[in-house]
Formats: sequence, C-alpha cells, structure tokens
Amino acid sequence: MRYLECFRHLAKRRNGEFVITSAGNSGQAWWAASGDSEASFYLDASMSLSTMFASGLALALPKQRFWAFMGDGAFCMNPGMLMVERQMNLPNLVHFLVSNRSYGATSNAPLPSGPSCDFAMVARGMGLERVFTFSSIADLESGLDAAITQNASGHTFVVLEVEPFDAEEQRLPQPPFDGPELKYRFGRHLEMVSGATIFDYRV
Amino acid sequence: MSGHETRSGSKPEIARALADSLADCGVKLVASLPDNWITEVIDEVDRDARFTHVPVNREESAIGLCSGAYMGGLGSAAIMGASGFMTVIYAITKINYSYEIPLLILITLRGAFGDHHKHHVSNGLYLRPVMDAIDIPYTIVSRPEEIPQIGKAYRHSRTFSRPTVVALTRDLLK
Repeated sequence: MRYLECFRHLAKRRNGEFVITSAGNSGQAWWAASGDSEASFYLDASMSLSTMFASGLALALPKQRFWAFMGDGAFCMNPGMLMVERQMNLPNLVHFLVSNRSYGATSNAPLPSGPSCDFAMVARGMGLERVFTFSSIADLESGLDAAITQNASGHTFVVLEVEPFDAEEQRLPQPPFDGPELKYRFGRHLEMVSGATIFDYRV
Repeated sequence: MSGHETRSGSKPEIARALADSLADCGVKLVASLPDNWITEVIDEVDRDARFTHVPVNREESAIGLCSGAYMGGLGSAAIMGASGFMTVIYAITKINYSYEIPLLILITLRGAFGDHHKHHVSNGLYLRPVMDAIDIPYTIVSRPEEIPQIGKAYRHSRTFSRPTVVALTRDLLK
C-alpha cells in the first residue's frame, strides 16, 4: 500500500482523535493528508518516543482518544516500549506502526531486519492482545473499524505495511511549525475540547 | 527500629518525605527505573494511592511518557539512577528543549564521595559536566531539610518551560 494513500484513508476515517506523529516520514505524510495544525502534535524530534508521549496524554485524558504513529525504524530503537504500553493498557490509544522496512527520513536506508521481522508477532510476544495488520486499502476498508473502535477493551497496536516514500514523496513539506508553536496550538486546542487545564494560565 | 533504620532520617522516612514532596507540588504520575539507592522511594511511590506509578522499560520512555502527561495537564516526575539519566540526553534535548516542555527528574548522584561502586566512576567524572553542558538547572539534595527543594524544582521547570533535575545523594538515601 502506498504510504500517502494509507494516511489519506486514515485521515478520512478519523473521528475526533488527537494524533501524535513521529520522527521520520509520518509527520510529512500526516501533514499532507490532514493539514491539521491543532489536533495533531508533530513530534518530529523524538526517535522511538511518540507512543510514550501519546501514552502520557492518553493517561491524562481518558475521555479523549489518541492515535500515535511510529515508523518501524523508530520502533527498532525501543521495542520494549510495548511492555510499558501493555502494562498501561490504555483503551483510548492506538499505536500505528508504519512499516516501510526502511529509515524513510534518511533516504530509505534499509532496516537491519529487512522484511523478515514480524512486528505483529513481536507485539503479541510482549503480551498485547489487540493487534491488527493492514497491507492494503481494501484491508483498511474492511478491518479498520474494529481496530479504531471507541469501545476498545484495551491498548491497540496496528501494523500498516506500506511502501517507502518515492523520490517525489520525499520532497513533501515538513509540518512548518516551531516546537513552542506546536505546543501551544495543540495544548490550547486540547484545553478547549477537553476542558482540562494544560498550562498554568488561560488566555 | 527495623533492620535498615540506622539513624535519624532513615530510608523509610526519607522515602515518605520525598513522596510527600512530590504529591504536594501536584505530581500524580511517576515513571521510574530502579537504582539501588532509590528502591525504597520507588516502592513508596508504588504503594501511595496519590500516584499512578508506571515502571518503564528504559529511561527515555520515562521522558516521553512524562512529557506527554504534561501536554495532557497531568503533573508528573521521572525517577531514575544517574546512569539512566546519562542515556536520556537525546530525549531531553529533542523533546523538552525543542517543544519547551517542563519535566521534573529525580536522579541519584552516583559517583560522588561515599559511593563505593567503582563502576560509577564515569558518573563521578561526567554526570555534572553533562548536566552543565546541556544547561539543565539542577539542585543537590543531601539532607532531609533540603527535600522541599523538590517543589521549587518542579515549579521552576514550569516557569522555565524546560526540565529541572534534583540529584539525591547517598547521604540522604542510604
């Protein structure tokens, strides 16, 4: 499945979820697919930590739902995060592992494991129960509802098998925000939607 | 007196005082990785209903988790050993410095006078220079009466919009 096509499909199916993207191509792809500048936090500076960041959010705000994207390159740097995710078992968080079998943001350098690693099996081995894999848009159309249901019994892990960015896609713009602007745009929007007090003062 | 209470300010009382200090400043989530010096502190936090305690797989995960909690309006702290702290420089400088996200980190001041473990020589040599190199504000707590520094460090982190560190000494913890 084409990376961007997959993300455009997810953007269409999104229903109020807050989104955290990762270091790598996911920020570019989500920005291209959604153009969202308030309910998405483009955590580009974060190799392997986007889902931990999202876990903190999901724990803090159990009535909101969160999607976190992470590339398989970032995943390889910290697979033990799944043990923490399993332990927390947050039903309002979906971890999307975007598997393009390469370090997409660094010229598609190959992953050490190549195509041989079964990420869904890794997740099951870490004790996760709600594990899904999608390799095509047709798969997403038929099975995504079960993965992103609002009535999940616990934490959800979704593997998206995609093609690496081609040369043209690599030129997609990065989300054009400085870090502090993202922090306040996202935080203020979250305050408005959830009623929570994120910062120490309201404007 | 229990077996490990050897003097005034012994471990259980210190652990409780540290937990009280965290709770008093609004910490509700504690992410931790162990170090022998802070085992009692982590156990105390784990038993304390005022906190959600999340043992994590590596120290960087604690940085990510607590940073996200801040963005959800949940007060948090990361507790780890000095060696663990030395592994989180990337996470701190990338997440917390890039996005200006506050975070309170409690560490052990390993490698200082009184630490008889030779494998902490590196921390004795480089822990404080590394903290200085990334300009992270830190304070050293070595006596029970200094424990309120934790609240000040927490509030300073939020004022400064970056992490602060409280380094706990062996004299305090053991």
